[in-house]
Amino acid sequence: MKLRTKLTLYNTISKLVLVTLFVLLLPVLIRDINQSFTDNKLQRQKKKVLGIIKISGIKNNLYAAYSPLKDQFYSLDEDSLEESLDTIRNEKRKIEGDTIDYRILSYNFILGKKSYLLEIGKSIDSIEETTAPLQNIAFVVLLGMILLTVLADQFYSAYVLRPLGQIIKTKLIGNKFPNFGSYKKVKTTTSDFEYLDISIHKMIVTIETTFQKEREFISNASHELMTPVSILQSKIENMFEREDLSDDLKSRLLEMQRILNRLKSITKTLLLISQIENDQFLKEDKIPLASLLQEVYDEISIRLQDKNITYEASVPENWNLVHVNKFLLFNLFFNLINNAIKYNYENGGIKITATREGNNFVVSIIDTGIGISAEELPYIFNRFKKMRQSLQQDSFGLGLPIVQSIAGFHGIKVEVQSEKDKGSTFRLILPAFLIEI
Amino acid sequence: MNVLIIEDEKALAEELELFLTNYNYICEVCYNGTSASEKIAVNLYDFILIDLGLPDYDGLDLLKEAKKSNPEAICMILTARAEVYDRIKGLDLGADDYLPKPFSLLELYSRMQAITRRKFGLKQNLVDLGGFLINLTDRTISYYNDEVNTITKKEFDLIAYLLLHKNRTLTRSQLSEHIWGSVINDDYDSNYIDAHIKNIRKKLNAFAPPDWLETVRGLGYKIKINT
Repeated sequence: MKLRTKLTLYNTISKLVLVTLFVLLLPVLIRDINQSFTDNKLQRQKKKVLGIIKISGIKNNLYAAYSPLKDQFYSLDEDSLEESLDTIRNEKRKIEGDTIDYRILSYNFILGKKSYLLEIGKSIDSIEETTAPLQNIAFVVLLGMILLTVLADQFYSAYVLRPLGQIIKTKLIGNKFPNFGSYKKVKTTTSDFEYLDISIHKMIVTIETTFQKEREFISNASHELMTPVSILQSKIENMFEREDLSDDLKSRLLEMQRILNRLKSITKTLLLISQIENDQFLKEDKIPLASLLQEVYDEISIRLQDKNITYEASVPENWNLVHVNKFLLFNLFFNLINNAIKYNYENGGIKITATREGNNFVVSIIDTGIGISAEELPYIFNRFKKMRQSLQQDSFGLGLPIVQSIAGFHGIKVEVQSEKDKGSTFRLILPAFLIEI
Repeated sequence: MNVLIIEDEKALAEELELFLTNYNYICEVCYNGTSASEKIAVNLYDFILIDLGLPDYDGLDLLKEAKKSNPEAICMILTARAEVYDRIKGLDLGADDYLPKPFSLLELYSRMQAITRRKFGLKQNLVDLGGFLINLTDRTISYYNDEVNTITKKEFDLIAYLLLHKNRTLTRSQLSEHIWGSVINDDYDSNYIDAHIKNIRKKLNAFAPPDWLETVRGLGYKIKINT
């Protein structure tokens, strides 16, 4: 989930919770407010009545009256005064057969030689009749306010977080991270994002420099090795030309030539990988996939015969590889098929299939060989990572790194499925632009 | 044939000279671009072998000079600088071939032979080996009037290479480099050459035993021609 969505969700939920709590508390709050308002009003009315009594006195007619709707009443009656009374309470009163809950102010006082009880009442219903509408109004108003604030939050967080989105979109997401393109500063007034942007840029520059150094080192080391290897190779070959060589010397020379070949293979491979990584190859060739596989087969058939391995390639004749480097792709297939032979059993089999999967074209190399264990599988593309099984073969762990470099250079994805003792399947997922039908 | 070797690595230049002299070429060696430039301007050569990584001179400039003053010469670039750009530029400037270091001397000789054949017109290049007629131009083998049509491209390449270096023992490494030189993989010391030779023998045996194709125990193979 995106940060902006999370923030919006949090804001909305927290506001909703607060509003719900408030709306639920509203009846209690309104009742308290109403009650204190009513109590104040009753006190004022008591003062008014006492003021009138003070001026006019009480003529022998005692007074009791209620409003037509029975929501208010006044009564002034004689009282047998035993203790002073000045209270406001909720009480029930029966008026014309109706029992009604009232909020009643009761006050007794002495005037002349008589004590009187003054009661002013207001029905509870009339006090509480505003609660429900008030609650509804409050709920609607608050809901509206929530929507407004959520929208405002949404717009503001979108505005504030836009630079972060740009950093993610332009610098972190993509086919190739780290993206070594030219640095474009993200426009932002938020110092945290500025810091993040600059830090990512610095990190990418560091990675790029390290990559570059590694590529240069491999390239230079390979080149520097080429000359002495060349000299040694020429010296050994010239020594073979001599007629007076003893058999012992010949076999020693042969051993030296073998070791030199090994050094040459490693150097050539490292140089090839470094040239691929330095974009030293053109991608302008067009070749039918079937022809390319046939060329690989011609080159490798002797190895299949040697182990009596069956080979079956069923790929459509009309699949043409375009925008590729033929030399590199030849080497890619050679290495994969060669591995399928090397790590296969006598009388085993190799099958090559080609299928379409959505927009992609998939070429699979399936073998019935010894397979790769689950713990070794993640490391098979690591340079010089020698697996137990490759140690049994004459190899130094650079075949699959070659495959991976060539595949990466062409935008081909390599997937591996393997089961120990059952065999392996290498799937090459070719993007649509590499195949023309 | 006159060969000018332009190579700043003294040890390598000496080995090239020794090897080509054994193959009856007349060699001159330059260890830097300046002296090579002078020699190219004054003398005529059949072959000019140029190392691109000279300390004092751009090898490609030397190639331009060579194409001007020695238009008939066969120019070959030998270099450890295997950048694609250099290769393309070199061939664009008229180099006849491009051999990245490290290369086999036998491979160099084989390329020199191939260019010579290409440049100076092709007469039928036929060799008779114990009744087998090997046509290096058409890449065919026949036994009297029967064509041996079971031989594969790779097998013919092996026979042709052994024939080019006749009476010399070629090791499995040397043969492998010629046959699979363009393939870069992580095998070393492969013995598939033996399987190829076995197949060649089997196929030729159907007509007559190819006694001229000898195994040199512990070393490799050779084609023996009694001259």
